[in-house]
Amino acid sequence: MFQPKLGLSALALETAAWVQLAAGDTSDAALLRYLGSHGGASALLALMAWSLLPRPLATPRLPVLGLIFGVSFFIPVLGFVGVILAIFALPLLPSRREQLDFRAVPLPALDPHEKQDVTSFRQAGVRQFLKNERAPVAQRLRAVVALGNAPSAVSNPMLRELLNDATEDLRLLAYGMLDTREKKINAAIHTERAEYAAAVDDPGRQLAARRLAGLYWELIYQGLVHGDLMEHAAHEGFKYMAEVIAAEPANAGVALQFGRLLHHMGRHEEAEAAYRGARALGLPAPRVEPYRAELAFIRRDFDEVRRIIKELDDWQGLSRLQPVVRLWRHEARQAGQ
Amino acid sequence: MKTDDFPKADDADVALLLEGTFPYVSGGVSSWVNQIIRAFPDIRFAIVFLGSRRSDYGAPKYAIPANVVHLETHFLHDDIVAVEPRAKPAPRRGDVDTYAEVKRLHDGFKGKPDGLEAFARIARELQPGGRLTVDDFLHSEVSWEMIAERYRHYCTDPSFVDYFWTVRIMHQPLWLLGKVARELIPVRALHSISTGYAGFLGALIAHARSIPLVLSEHGIYTKERKIDLYQNEWIRDNRNVFQKDPADLSYFRQMWIRFFEWLGRLTYDAADPIIALYEANRLRQVADGARDERTFCIPNGISLARLSPLRARQPDSPPPVLCLIGRVVPIKDIKTFIRAMRRVVNLMPEAEGWIAGPEDEDPGYAEECRNLAESLGLADKVKFLGFQRIDEILPKVGALILSSISEALPLVVLEGYAAGVPSITTDVGSCRQLIHGFGPEDEAIGAAGHIVGIADPAALADAAVALIGNPDSWRAARQAGIRRVERYYSDAMMFGAYRKVYDKALGVAQTTGGAH
Repeated sequence: MFQPKLGLSALALETAAWVQLAAGDTSDAALLRYLGSHGGASALLALMAWSLLPRPLATPRLPVLGLIFGVSFFIPVLGFVGVILAIFALPLLPSRREQLDFRAVPLPALDPHEKQDVTSFRQAGVRQFLKNERAPVAQRLRAVVALGNAPSAVSNPMLRELLNDATEDLRLLAYGMLDTREKKINAAIHTERAEYAAAVDDPGRQLAARRLAGLYWELIYQGLVHGDLMEHAAHEGFKYMAEVIAAEPANAGVALQFGRLLHHMGRHEEAEAAYRGARALGLPAPRVEPYRAELAFIRRDFDEVRRIIKELDDWQGLSRLQPVVRLWRHEARQAGQ
Repeated sequence: MKTDDFPKADDADVALLLEGTFPYVSGGVSSWVNQIIRAFPDIRFAIVFLGSRRSDYGAPKYAIPANVVHLETHFLHDDIVAVEPRAKPAPRRGDVDTYAEVKRLHDGFKGKPDGLEAFARIARELQPGGRLTVDDFLHSEVSWEMIAERYRHYCTDPSFVDYFWTVRIMHQPLWLLGKVARELIPVRALHSISTGYAGFLGALIAHARSIPLVLSEHGIYTKERKIDLYQNEWIRDNRNVFQKDPADLSYFRQMWIRFFEWLGRLTYDAADPIIALYEANRLRQVADGARDERTFCIPNGISLARLSPLRARQPDSPPPVLCLIGRVVPIKDIKTFIRAMRRVVNLMPEAEGWIAGPEDEDPGYAEECRNLAESLGLADKVKFLGFQRIDEILPKVGALILSSISEALPLVVLEGYAAGVPSITTDVGSCRQLIHGFGPEDEAIGAAGHIVGIADPAALADAAVALIGNPDSWRAARQAGIRRVERYYSDAMMFGAYRKVYDKALGVAQTTGGAH
C-alpha cells in the first residue's frame, strides 16, 4: 500500500541532509547530523519502496529492506534518486509472464470399455436366454445380473428356475439374489413383530399389523415362498389384515389388499365382496376391476368378464392390460357384442 | 490355550498353511487337519494360522497334537501396521523397475502373457528387504500413477475414491504375508489346505525358498468367495441410472472376484501336487488354471473304528429327528432346512429338527435363523444345540440333513454313514456320488438317502418324511451307507495316499537342500 507520509518524511529528511551539506560545516557533528538525516531518509524511503513491491519480490522482508536502504544510503545522490525513480517506474514496466501450473493436454482417447454396447435384455428374451444351457456362461451370468434391475415379482420366478441349472456359478448367483431379497423382508417382519408385541395402544398395534400384513403379502407376491411356506405367509398375513380391516373398515386401500389376499387364498366369494367394497369406498375401476375380471374368469362367468373389460377399455392408462383388453374386445366383436 | 503357550521350534518338516480353520474354527476341514496331523506322528509339523481379526476367534477348539512343534498366528486385518511400524508418509518416487514388473503382473491378470513369470520375480521383492515395499505401495508416486492409470483405463465406476481405497484394502495384507514368509522357520515342505491368502503365502515361500508346495483343496476357495461376494451388500456401486449397464456386476465386485481368482491361479502355478477330493472339483481346478498333470484326487476318509460302535445304540426304527450337523453360516443354508421343517411338522407333527453346530462364526446369520424359526412357528420344533460331539448325537438322529449351497466331500455324511445314519443332501459337490454311488460297483450298493435341489424346502421336507416315515426305506438306506463308507471312505485309504505325498515332498526337499 502506498505510504505518502513515509515518502514525504523521507524527502524532508533528505532535503535537511542536503541543506546540512550545503552549509559547508566540516565538523564531526555536522557529518553526524548529515549521516543521521540521510540514514533516516534512506530508511523511510526503503520502507515506502518495500511497501510498493509485489509480494514475491518483497520477501524475504529484512534482506529486501536492507538492500533498498543500502542502495539509497551508500550510493551518493544516485542511490536515493534512483530508488525514487524506481518507485515511479515499477508500475510502468510490463509484468513478467509467470509460468502457469496448467499444461495443455490432448483430449484422452476413448477407452475400449466405454465403447461396449450397453446390453439390454427384454423381459421375454431373458427367460428364454437363461433357459438355454448351451449359451455362453458369461453371457448368461450377465443376464442374471440384469435381472437384479427387473421387478422382483417378474424376476424371482426366473431366478428360482436357475436354482437347478447345470452351471454352478449361475445357481449360486441366483441363490444369492433370492436370498438377499427374502432376507430383507424377513428382517422387516421380525422387527414389526417385535413392534406389534411391544405396542402399548391400538394405533401402534394397528400400524404394526398393517405393515406385517403388507410384508407377508410381499413374500407371496414376489414369489419368495411356496407350498407350506406360502400357506403360512397367507395365514399370517390374513391374521394381521383382518385386524386392520376391522379397525379401518372405510379404508379403500386396505380393502383392496384384503381382497387380493383372499383371492390368493382361494376364498373367492369373500375376495369379490372385498373388491366391491373397495370400489364402493372410492377406488377407481382400473385399480380393482382387473382382479374382479380374474375372479369372474375363474368362475367361468365370461359375460361378466366381457362387461368388465368393456368398462376398462375406456381407461387409457392400463398399458400392461392392453393385450388382454384387445383379446376380449376382439372376442366380443366375434360374438357380435 | 493362549498364543504364548503355543509351541515354538527352530525348524520343522512340513508347514501347514491354514486360513480360518484349525485350531480356532470347528468344522469338517479342521477335523480333517486334526486327523492328518495325528496320522503322521513321525512328521514334525509347523502351523501358520491366518485369520481376519483376533477378536473374531475365541480359544482354540482343538487340542494341539504333540507333533505340532511350532504354531504361529497372524491376523490380516489387525497386523497391517506391524509390517512397517515406523512408517510415516514421506515424499518418494518409488522403485520404477519393480513397478514395471507389477504392471506386467497386472497386465497378466487382464490376459496378457508373462503375468505368472512376473509374480515369480516379485515374490521375493514383496518380503522385508525387497524392493516392493508397503511404503512405496501406500505413498510413492509410481504407485499413485499406476493406480490412476488403471482407474482411467479399466474402471467403469465413477468413484476414484472408492477405487483407490478398494485397491489399498485389497492389497495391503499381502505385505504382512511377505513378512510371514520371510520370518517362517526353516521347513522342508509346505502344505496349504486352500488357495486364497494361505495359498498365496505358500506360493511366496515356495518361490523364495525353492521348496515344494502341496495344495489340498476341500471346497474351492475361489468359488466360496464368489458366493460371499455375490450376496454381500457392502460393496458399492456408484453408477447412476445413466451409467449403469444392468447386465454388469458392479466394478468393485468384479475386482474382488478377480482378486481371489488370481490368488488361486498364483497358488496353482506354484503348487505340485494339487489334490482335490473328487473328480468334479479336480476338473474345476484345471478350469481355474491348475495344470492337469499336477492334479489328482484323494477322497476324505473317516475312522470306522471310532464310529461303527454307535450303530448298536440306534433303535430299530428311525427316530423322528432330522439333524443338520454343521456351522451356522450362510453356505450351509440353514434357512432352507428350517423352512423345510415347516412342512415336515405339518406332515409329521412328532418330528423335530436339530441344528448341531457352532453359531459364533456368523452371529448375524445365526440370529436370522432363529428369527425365521420363530416367525414360522417352529420355536419348539427347531432346536439350536450348538456344538455337539457326534458320537453323542448321531445315535439319537433319524437322518442327517445337508442343505448346503456348496460342498465338496462332506465328512459329516461319511460319519453319519459309519454310525448308521442315512442322509438327505442337496445336489452339490460330491453328494450325489455319496448318496447314490460313483461307478457301477458303488451304485449297486444302493441309495444311502435322497438328493434334492438347492433352496427347495418342499422337496427337502418330502424326502425327509419319505425316509424317516418309512422304516423299511430307512433301514435299506442305512445299510447302503454303511457298506459304502466301509468300502470306499476309510481313513486308512486316505492316510496311505497322503503318506506317499509327504514322502515325495520331503524327499524332494532333501535333495535340493530347501535353503532359507
